[in-house]
Amino acid sequence: MFLFLAGVRLMEDRVVAVKVVNFTKRFGNFTAVNGLNLEIYDREIFGFLGPNGSGKTTTLLTIATVYKPTSGDIFVYGHSVTREDYEVRKLVGLAFQDPKALWVDKVQELLEWHARVVGFSRGEAKKVVREVLETLDLWEHRNKYFYQLSGGTRKKLELAKVLIQRPRLAILDEPTAQVDVPTKHKLWNIIKELRDQGSTVIIATNDMFEAEKVCERVGIIYKGRLVAVDTVSGLKDRIPKGDVIEIVIEGDGRKDKAIESLMDLGRVEYQGNTLRIYVEKGEEKALLAADILRSAGIKVKSIMVKEPTLDDVFMYFTGARLVEES
Amino acid sequence: MASSILVIASRDLKRFWSYKFWLAGQVVMNVADIVIFGLLFNNMVNRSLIPDYIKFVTPGILSLALFISSFSIGREVGVELRREVTDYLLSLPVSRLELVLGRFVGGAFRGLIYQSGFLVLAMLLVGQPSPAAWLVIAYTSILLSLAMSGLSIALSTVTRDFNLQATIRSVVYYMLFFFSNIFYPTQVVSMRFGPLAPFVAYSPLSIATTLYRWGFGYLRDVDVVSNMLLLGVWTIVLLILSSVIYLRNLTRRG
Ligand SMILES: Nc1ncnc2c1ncn2[C@@H]1O[C@H](COP(=O)(O)OP(=O)(O)OP(=O)(O)O)[C@@H](O)[C@H]1O
Ligand SMILES: [Mg+2]
Repeated sequence: MFLFLAGVRLMEDRVVAVKVVNFTKRFGNFTAVNGLNLEIYDREIFGFLGPNGSGKTTTLLTIATVYKPTSGDIFVYGHSVTREDYEVRKLVGLAFQDPKALWVDKVQELLEWHARVVGFSRGEAKKVVREVLETLDLWEHRNKYFYQLSGGTRKKLELAKVLIQRPRLAILDEPTAQVDVPTKHKLWNIIKELRDQGSTVIIATNDMFEAEKVCERVGIIYKGRLVAVDTVSGLKDRIPKGDVIEIVIEGDGRKDKAIESLMDLGRVEYQGNTLRIYVEKGEEKALLAADILRSAGIKVKSIMVKEPTLDDVFMYFTGARLVEES
Repeated sequence: MASSILVIASRDLKRFWSYKFWLAGQVVMNVADIVIFGLLFNNMVNRSLIPDYIKFVTPGILSLALFISSFSIGREVGVELRREVTDYLLSLPVSRLELVLGRFVGGAFRGLIYQSGFLVLAMLLVGQPSPAAWLVIAYTSILLSLAMSGLSIALSTVTRDFNLQATIRSVVYYMLFFFSNIFYPTQVVSMRFGPLAPFVAYSPLSIATTLYRWGFGYLRDVDVVSNMLLLGVWTIVLLILSSVIYLRNLTRRG
């Protein structure tokens, strides 16, 4: 009880960085985002998950004041995107899903100009651009034209803009799409550092591993509606009977008794002397299961809890139920 | 405010130098207009209308050079719109007004820098302006370059269809410089294209050319103040219209 209250207080005390209020966005007759309500807290890394076309980019671009809401409003540190768009832009840095540049633009020039626009002096701009280019291993590409860059390098260029700016609110639209695996790990660390140095980070992604690796909370958006928001582990707990406790007992002579004593916890299946119990909150129930078996005098060889992956969570909330209910 | 506008403008100015072949082509054409046309036409034209074709056409080339270079910004603005680079511009921490003014100024810088070489040529070929005349010339160049930069930006954002953009730009481009007094004196235009004569006489390029001709001492009998006012009106109208069109079309999807 005390813990519960403490948890609520903690949430209330957190500064809200982004407050989305009944946000709806239509393109012509098509509703891309439908009545979205959401709070993103100061200095958290928030993940926006959802299948292609679910409205992630549309929402992010509206937060960044590139699009205007059809109805509803979004507040960035209290500033309304509809009434104080300039105030909002001063706080926001955005890495686009599709890198934005013209062929005539060269890497270093492009970024130095970006640094100047976001407020650096000429000298500071040169310095910060060099630092960021080196951090992202882009220094060798500095004199290339935009059209000469590979897809992954272009994506890094987008991230570079945000790292130069170090905005209060960093919006990264699929920052590691097209990027190779070692670089992904590097970028995740860079993104965490960005947060540690004071930015709130919103990441749109299709990559469950990425969400699990860097995001503290995730929101799942499906067909323009928010279907779930929670921490990654919280979301996993919300899948009904998503956890599996796998118990191996000694000698299958006592199997019937074991199954009978475990029925109260959830559906039990067996194969040889391996029992599987489908439950919610697997960790707690596993301890309980071990106690029950011990008091029934059944010897347990091993016990293991398998959590659903975030893939399962995603599939569950976006329509496909992986875990069938019995 | 001012510094944001200059930073925005610097990007368009820098890009201007990336089109090296285009630039070289333009310089060759503009110089050829003066030298070749000047030499050829000098012996063909009616001397009672144009006593010296080189002195006549050179101030016109000043307008043309300024026009071509300021107008070139529309091309990139159009590509940006089509490739959605405009979304990037809209996300930057500048106000919408700074953004649009920065673009206008960027185009104007292109024009002013490109024109400066031709100003020197005009001094050599036509005559030395007085200090007061230099002020008029500067006023003319700044206003005309801003107006033409704004016009081309507006034209390039009326549609996302790249071919249509290019067509609209070309049509307006040729209309503006053919229906002007750059290559032929206003009297001749009135004789040949009666109904179009007022447009030719009051088009921004013609007004600027008249002011340049006065500034470099080719024409004496010019109502400088009225022409300056008229150019001011053109500039204000074109810039207001262009700002509205540019911003409306930039943010239309959103
Ligand atoms: N400018 C636009 N005009 C018309 N429809 C649009 C526009 N932008 C987005 N849409 C539509 O809105 C829906 C949401 O698009 P959005 O780009 O926000 O999706 P997303 O979640 O970012 O998808 P992805 O994972 O593919 O990036 C899509 O159906 C898309 O076709
Ligand atoms: Mg997207």
